[in-house]
Amino acid sequence: MTFRVSRTILGGSLLAVVLISAACSPSASMGGGTPSSDPELARHGTIEVTAKLVEIPEGAIFERELYNYATVLKYQVIEVHRGSVRGQTIYVGHYNPFKPRADAADQLVPNIGGDLKTFREDQVERMSLDGSMLDEFSGAILNKYFEEDPDPIYWAVWTDLVSG
Amino acid sequence: MPIDRRAYVYLAAGFLAVIIAPGVIQTVAELRRGETPGALELFLRPPTARNLHAYEHGLEASSLVIQRLRPRMQYAEWRFLDDAGEKAVVGREGWLFYRPSVRYEVERPAIGPESDSSDPLPAIRSFRDQLQARGIRLLVVPVPNKESIYPELLTRRAQGLGVVVNEQTQHLLDELDRNGIEHVDLFQVFRRVKQDQGRTGTGRLYLARDTHWSPAGVHAAAASIARQVLAGGVLSRGDHAYSERSVVAQRAGDLVEMLRSASIKGSLLPESVVCSRVVQSDSGAPYEDRPDSEILILGDSFLRIYEHDVPGAAGLIAHLARELGRPLASIVNDGGGSTLVRQDLARRPALLSNKKLVIWEFAEREIRFGTEGWRIVRLARSASEFN
Repeated sequence: MTFRVSRTILGGSLLAVVLISAACSPSASMGGGTPSSDPELARHGTIEVTAKLVEIPEGAIFERELYNYATVLKYQVIEVHRGSVRGQTIYVGHYNPFKPRADAADQLVPNIGGDLKTFREDQVERMSLDGSMLDEFSGAILNKYFEEDPDPIYWAVWTDLVSG
Repeated sequence: MPIDRRAYVYLAAGFLAVIIAPGVIQTVAELRRGETPGALELFLRPPTARNLHAYEHGLEASSLVIQRLRPRMQYAEWRFLDDAGEKAVVGREGWLFYRPSVRYEVERPAIGPESDSSDPLPAIRSFRDQLQARGIRLLVVPVPNKESIYPELLTRRAQGLGVVVNEQTQHLLDELDRNGIEHVDLFQVFRRVKQDQGRTGTGRLYLARDTHWSPAGVHAAAASIARQVLAGGVLSRGDHAYSERSVVAQRAGDLVEMLRSASIKGSLLPESVVCSRVVQSDSGAPYEDRPDSEILILGDSFLRIYEHDVPGAAGLIAHLARELGRPLASIVNDGGGSTLVRQDLARRPALLSNKKLVIWEFAEREIRFGTEGWRIVRLARSASEFN
């Protein structure tokens, strides 16, 4: 084996080790900031929870060309920090979920935000919620759980990523 | 002649730079913002098709290189190749068309049902039956695609075709007849108006750079729906007096907005649209809905345009109210005419408590491309059952 080939293999291996180490680091997070210290969480909504996003149903999040919409997602509650929720499994409406939360607010829904960039299954998120999406949002709702008749559907005001 | 080896090296280096640069730029930008590089996501999740697709989608949305280069490329393609990209199709005389609508018009549907909810008829029949059980009449109003009414503005080859009714649409209209489901045939109505006005007149029924109808389209639709409502005998003309006030609205067009290119938008003058705003004759106040009206109208953005958008109170809802002499209740769900708007109604059963007529409007392309397809939506029999 030539010196050049050995150097290439060694370099490639080192790069792989660095990437895997970074990926496996417990602090690895696709969002920014420290969610628990985000003062915006306490400022918004009447409820604050840390919850795991159980699933993203097929077609629940997509970039809609013409119109705004909210989608309903299912969460497993890990901890309730403020207020109370009904049960361990909750349903939460997110406005224009294909956008990073920091860019999602607009004239129709001005007061939402957070550091979460992309919704992914199994993510743990810390959210400020309002008690009823139907009271807060009058636009188009995409509810893949309609047949299950979830009640209430909470409304996500601030969404920070904790892990995942 | 021997080729200089350096040429190969430069070519390969240039090629590699093009391939690698976007990733490096993105990673550096993310690190400078104090973020974890997005590329690590590839290693954080199992490489399933769904995760890889989501990663790719996220990359497209967040890539700095794409954000910088795409608008320039898009404008160049628009300016020199008459190509509006993946959302819209450039027609004739400055008209734009929505690509899914064009697809609806020119592509044959898949053979056999695509899914359990791809056939509109069971959902419409179920809705009619549930309303009938409450003593409420249903009137269905499919709104023609722009391409159906003005195919000659999409392509020269459609010159002389007049109004085109897609095979799938015709099948649905026939099935509605066969099942005794009352509907308004706006294809016939618009064909007559188009013939009367001539193609070059100012009264075109759709906007040039928007997916929706013009004020002329709104007027024609409102008049024909009202005629059919009153002919049904369940409701007579009310005694609310409304007047019209002319007002000009500027619209860039939703198809232009959809291109998301400031350069393209800046190169086009907004369309000046002369609308008729409906006002109360006595007070001059703009038309307002009444949730306790005996008529409920459900629909998509064809109800929203001019009504909730500028100038307000000048869309189909207000004009239908004027024609009927009575205010209406309404639910508008942008892009959700097939299923979402009925789900919306199911969440608000009190709206049905005193209704005699439900008018259900949806855009023609929804027949195949409706968001959530055509699901059967169960309405609670009463508000108390819902609660």
